[in-house]
Amino acid sequence: MRTLIEALLEGDQARCITEATRLRKAGAGVAQIVVDGIGKAMEQLDGKCTIDQFNLLEIMLVGRAVMGVIKELFPKGEPGMPIRGTVIVCSLEGDVHDLGKNILKMVLTAKGYRVIDCGKDCPLDKLIETAERQRADAVCVSGLITTVIPQVRRVRELAAERGLGQMRILAGGAALKQATAEGLKVDFVADTAFDGVRYLESAGLGTGTACQD
Amino acid sequence: MKSLERIQATLNFEHADRLPVIAQVFGHTAVIAGKTIRDYVTSGSELADCQMRALARYGYDAVFAVMDVNIETEAMGSRLVYRSHDYPYVLEHVFSKATNLDAFSIPDPHSAGRMPQILEALRIMRRETGGEVLVVGCVMGPMTLATQLAGIEEALYLAIDDPAGFERLLDFSTRVAIGFGAAQVEAGAHAALVFDPSASMAVIPAPFFREFELPRLNKIFKAFQAAGVSAGWLHIAGPLGPVLALCGQTGADIFNFDYCVDPNDVLAHAGDRLCFNGNIKSLDFETAQPEDIFKESVRLRELFSSRGGFILSSGCEIPPGSKPENIAALVSAAGLGTGIAGRDRHSNPGQRQDGSRQD
Repeated sequence: MRTLIEALLEGDQARCITEATRLRKAGAGVAQIVVDGIGKAMEQLDGKCTIDQFNLLEIMLVGRAVMGVIKELFPKGEPGMPIRGTVIVCSLEGDVHDLGKNILKMVLTAKGYRVIDCGKDCPLDKLIETAERQRADAVCVSGLITTVIPQVRRVRELAAERGLGQMRILAGGAALKQATAEGLKVDFVADTAFDGVRYLESAGLGTGTACQD
Repeated sequence: MKSLERIQATLNFEHADRLPVIAQVFGHTAVIAGKTIRDYVTSGSELADCQMRALARYGYDAVFAVMDVNIETEAMGSRLVYRSHDYPYVLEHVFSKATNLDAFSIPDPHSAGRMPQILEALRIMRRETGGEVLVVGCVMGPMTLATQLAGIEEALYLAIDDPAGFERLLDFSTRVAIGFGAAQVEAGAHAALVFDPSASMAVIPAPFFREFELPRLNKIFKAFQAAGVSAGWLHIAGPLGPVLALCGQTGADIFNFDYCVDPNDVLAHAGDRLCFNGNIKSLDFETAQPEDIFKESVRLRELFSSRGGFILSSGCEIPPGSKPENIAALVSAAGLGTGIAGRDRHSNPGQRQDGSRQD
């Protein structure tokens, strides 16, 4: 597993896929690869990403490698890995930047969450309908421009109208992280994707279910 | 002192009658003029009109020929979506891994896309300010233009998968910046702003900045000096980290620092020859109260008072929907007192951290 972790942290996608395939042939289960391989690599990446050292490029490379392994382990798409909870991610209507959202999606997926991606330029109605239909535990809204802030402030109210009052609401991204949780009417404003995941973990989101190996 | 004299004195670390203040307002000028942002970003004369009205209203020290961040990529062939009340965005990037850069030529600022509108805005503002106010042009920096041409994910993966191809893209972006910037200087810009948020430490690591970005910024600012610019201005939004110590080597005269950069770190690590501007949080102009903006402005003013070489400003763009009273508070704080200390910018050469620029 150490080789896989090393390859993941180096962002070497081809080597990661080769190593994951080798581990499977050697008898390792997908859950073991996800938890002890990808999960550990993400923990180490999280530890490296301090305020001074965080950089997108490294995270993107690891993310590309992680998604390559996930695709190899779950070729039909829907992961059978332990589900820690369902999280909706999106950039709201008017915001067409989705890199931050994509990074969060990768980190959440690697941590074992079921992630529903509502994409960029996502209308509020679509976000809430998806959250209701998918029985989401949390929604994460990424924003690079300040003009989406009025929409962010409405998420809680609209969610409550659909009986989703318990659903956690997180915000992040260059524009939104300038604001406070209170100012945005959300539960948490994440400085980074890892920060957001730590919040979800601390909130006890998702208890995990048996892995369909 | 006229605004331009005040800015020039500050750039030279000489005494100014008051702290210079520059509100980085673009779309906001259209909002307060009752015009759409679409009008503002598509017409040089509309832009100039909005900027001049805002200047008259607030009384700060500069006007900007800045529309949005997509001027160059659109001029190269990227397709944009225009919106009435927000900035345009790129629908389809012109560059992909399969693109042969040799098939592209540097866009002609006098005919490509909206570039001529920017030149028109500069000519109008230079004429209407009568040479008394700093007129600022703007180009995208190499990293940002590369990400605007290819899309940020595509560009960053290219940097890893095909470093030589990525360097060619950066070189191309550098040539675009030089050509467009020189045309803006010719059209009347006193200062040329190089906007490069994709070179922030939030995006790339410091060694990457040092190897790929720094030499190209050097090239751009040298070319701007040769074109006759009064001030080269570097703006990298977001965190700077270890790059702060390199900012004196870029060749810029003014360096913008964002809200997330501690001004004390700027004072400690960024050398004593650069003029700085910053760094009130952009969002505060929408959500805070005027007294908050005023208080923070006074704090910055006091922090830089003995050093000099400081322009009071926001950390990044003041959002279009900002409260006018907050911008007024920023300007008001700059007017406190009777002056700001000056000193000979060459008086402490032993303390220089950069040593790269010839004045």
